[in-house]
Amino acid sequence: MPTIKIDGRTIEVTKGTTLLEAAQKLGIYIPRYCYHPKLSISGNCRMCLVEIENAPKLATACSTEAAEGMSVFTGTDKVKTARRDMLEFLLINHPLDCPICDQAGECGLQDYYMKYSLQKSRFRQEEKVRRQKRRAVGPHLVLDNERCILCTRCVRFCAEVTKTSELEVMQRSDHSYIDLKEGKALDNNYSLNIADICPVGAFTSRDFRFKQRVWFLKKTSTVCLGCATGCRMTAHHNENTIYRLVPLPNSQTNTWLCDHGRMTYKAVQAGDRLSKGVIKNGLIDLEPALREAATRIDEAKSEAAVLGSPWLSVEDNAALARLAISALKTVNFCFEFSSGQGIKDGILVNEDPAPNTAGAGLLKAAHGGVSLEELSGRIASGRIKVLVTEARAAGLVKTALKTSGCRLIVFAQNRSEIPAGAYATLPYASYFETPGTFINYQGLRRRTNPAVRPADGVKPLWNVVNKLAAYSGTSLGLDSAENALKDIKL
Amino acid sequence: MISVKKVDNKPLNLLERIYLYEIARGLSVTMRHFFKNLFNPAGMPTVQYPEQTIPLAGNARFRTRHRLKIRADGSPKCVACFMCQTACPAYCIKIEAAEYPSNNVEKYPAVFNIDLSRCVMCGMCVEACPEDAIAMDTAEIPGGAAARAELMMTRETLLRNLPGEKPTLGASNRLANEYLGGKE
Amino acid sequence: MPVFFEANKDMLIFTGAAAVKILVFLNAIMGFTALLTLAERKVSALIQDRIGPNRASVFGLTLNGLFHPVADGIKMVFKEDFTPGRAEKLLFTLAPFFALVPVLALFALIPFGDYIMISGYRLDLQIADLPLGLFFVLALSGLAIYGVFLGGWASKNNFALLGAMRGAAQMVSYEVVLGLTLVGLMMIYGSAGLQDMVRAQGKLLFGFIPAWGVVCQPFAFILFLTAAIAENKRTPFDLVEGESEIIGYFMEYSSMRFAAFMFAEFLEIILVSMLAATLFFGGWQVPYLHETGFIFPGGALLPVNHYLVAALQTGAFAAKTVAFSWFLLVVRWTLPRFRFDQMMGLCWKTLLPLALLNILMTGAVMLALGKI
Repeated sequence: MPTIKIDGRTIEVTKGTTLLEAAQKLGIYIPRYCYHPKLSISGNCRMCLVEIENAPKLATACSTEAAEGMSVFTGTDKVKTARRDMLEFLLINHPLDCPICDQAGECGLQDYYMKYSLQKSRFRQEEKVRRQKRRAVGPHLVLDNERCILCTRCVRFCAEVTKTSELEVMQRSDHSYIDLKEGKALDNNYSLNIADICPVGAFTSRDFRFKQRVWFLKKTSTVCLGCATGCRMTAHHNENTIYRLVPLPNSQTNTWLCDHGRMTYKAVQAGDRLSKGVIKNGLIDLEPALREAATRIDEAKSEAAVLGSPWLSVEDNAALARLAISALKTVNFCFEFSSGQGIKDGILVNEDPAPNTAGAGLLKAAHGGVSLEELSGRIASGRIKVLVTEARAAGLVKTALKTSGCRLIVFAQNRSEIPAGAYATLPYASYFETPGTFINYQGLRRRTNPAVRPADGVKPLWNVVNKLAAYSGTSLGLDSAENALKDIKL
Repeated sequence: MISVKKVDNKPLNLLERIYLYEIARGLSVTMRHFFKNLFNPAGMPTVQYPEQTIPLAGNARFRTRHRLKIRADGSPKCVACFMCQTACPAYCIKIEAAEYPSNNVEKYPAVFNIDLSRCVMCGMCVEACPEDAIAMDTAEIPGGAAARAELMMTRETLLRNLPGEKPTLGASNRLANEYLGGKE
Repeated sequence: MPVFFEANKDMLIFTGAAAVKILVFLNAIMGFTALLTLAERKVSALIQDRIGPNRASVFGLTLNGLFHPVADGIKMVFKEDFTPGRAEKLLFTLAPFFALVPVLALFALIPFGDYIMISGYRLDLQIADLPLGLFFVLALSGLAIYGVFLGGWASKNNFALLGAMRGAAQMVSYEVVLGLTLVGLMMIYGSAGLQDMVRAQGKLLFGFIPAWGVVCQPFAFILFLTAAIAENKRTPFDLVEGESEIIGYFMEYSSMRFAAFMFAEFLEIILVSMLAATLFFGGWQVPYLHETGFIFPGGALLPVNHYLVAALQTGAFAAKTVAFSWFLLVVRWTLPRFRFDQMMGLCWKTLLPLALLNILMTGAVMLALGKI
């Protein structure tokens, strides 16, 4: 357990801790480009140079391990000069692309220039070394070699995290540049993380390209609902439009975010988003759609069934349970889903594609109900006349529905979700628009936060359920999401 | 350093305190103006804009209607960097960026709207522009529109060079200069 | 039937004549008020070296802005009629009427001419000749406070209430002065009926000076004008509105309700002008013009037709009213607003003692001249 001093402050760290990490613990920020906490140490950018007492030269804080009695200085004139000169090296050939560069505003070069350099360039614009400009490298990324500062974060990411090793540094010394290995494309499921970790604008997202300047974006932390892993992420949005999703690194689930999860926002603002009800194939206002659905439910009485959904939040599942128990007074309800749990690809993607299988299980624990097999058996045998469920959950009993004459009333966000043969479809607010509680495969409870407002008339699912019950003559008294959770132990 | 001006308020004399004489003096001033303008309306300085205009005294110090400069090949000099929209205190600029498929300038404004009914003519957009693409030198004073739509300037109405102006290369964007190098 | 007409002939003629007078006179005043709103903007524009409103056009014809009152009226009608959620709905609705009705009622007392004989019937050119007209004027103008105060109070808006409080304090204070300045006139003319007072002003002093109120009571005239402007809530006494600070009692009013307050203000300008003309400038009197014609000092005679006499007199009254209205507009665009303490100080510490002194002096002079 070496004890070291950084800028005169003493700290005891475990053996193997680097000076940069030790400084971070003390709240001293050391600038860095190539260092990333989840990648191997490279030490090539030289931004983190610090002065160590009795050492002949400056040392890189990211790769120097703390040793007993070390005295480190991060703010001496020597260090400051070194940083400024390093930045000058990096900026000699960096193009003046800021006006057309998506990284502008969150660019490491811009930030550190303002913080550590602020000196005028001593090189003429015309003398800059030219390299290949933008080109698409894979389905999600654009590479601009001219902007690259060769920190090799991307190379290490591909080698160490995804273990696909698509990228490599080509050539040597000042001729070197980043490129794809021959015959490869940057098409792994984690490629957009490279755009995040790239400290400059060399790798930018094709999806986000030129959509919005980053300084306009507002940030809302929320949860990814792409699978049961339940990664934390930040939705970047402006004027009621989500522009991108980036990971919110945390020790419990994720540092990264998969490309599939990053695209989940698209459905929220897709053109086929439902804001009205659908009866069979015709769009109809929500209120008449609710009335129609309620009429069908009333006709079926206790022969109606409710199927919860692992894609819905605990609140909305609870509302569905209340609908089954208090309004429909039926025993045909199911909140039991089973799926293989666990990380499928060794990084983030879960075997279970639904985000809330565990959360739906809470309803099973609280209210009981039949199993999924039992319910689909009852549907297949024609004992159930009306099934109320969520669109994707309806897929779980697809085969049973096909053969029986059961009327299907589903809640759906997008028109493309509506299962074939659905009788009535009711719209509800996405979890980017309304808060919801989800329980991931580890049993961690996570809550989404609304980033945007739903379209007029689109309400959270619990609210739609409440209205549906009201139309069929029962007041569920659901006036808030918390109210729905009343008898659930989270 | 705050400079303090000492005001020497003399106490009012009796005539001023009675006030009637001062009222009469004030009335004489306003009535003089009234009758002068009543019988000689042509002597008033009012200009009936926009039907009637007077030449501006050199436009160097005027901020007038905006325009976007055009490059030699007819493309907008603007690269849709959003600096003007960021700097605009009145939130009157709306830009939507798009990408040139082949041109290596890469970015251009597909939509560039300036809502003159919100614009405060402060010139911040001109100051902020890194490409010297937006200018307020048209010597046209906007205003006097009969419908709001007339006050919405779009890309089409904004894009123009002044008569006799030689299309310039991009100010700082090397790519634009290179791109146009062979075209001039 | 004919028997009924025969029996009630006088009554019917009186009623019909009164209705005609009301229609004609009130419409003339309404038209004049509309023009006055334009005049206010034009006069202020000319004073400030501007042109003023001149854009409203009918078929491309602008007539230098003559259609603006019409345009304003149409606009006012189509504005949203907004009632604040927490306002006292009933009083909020009633307040504009309280502001408008007393002012309109007061015009009934104004003599706009002497009389005309039409086929043997004498038609007095005044809607209602009350023997105590002056007191009725004061009483009704006291009612105008209700419009101001109810409007401000019912709006449930702090600034409106502040304006209403100022308005009530100001109008109550200046009413006292207004009343006292008129006492001197009543002493001189020996009557409180407005027609009597105008007739009395037809006499000549020293054989050639018309015995107008302004000649007999110059001091009272200045006091009256000051108090009347203050009563009218116009600059320099417009603290009730105080555009630059509190907006005033009609802050929450919109559409025609606001227009009612605005209209009441302009009607008050005309009323004050007519009262000033009636009380101090001889009303409909034209100097040296008698029922049969001009009798100039020195004995020269110029007979004039009876109808022409009536027309001249009514015209003179209209001219005097227009001149006073114009003067009030110019005053508004000349003088800056008083501070509230200055305004109240002016009322209670200066105008009120002076008004009392005026009564004392008038009495003393009349005693000395042996008129009592």
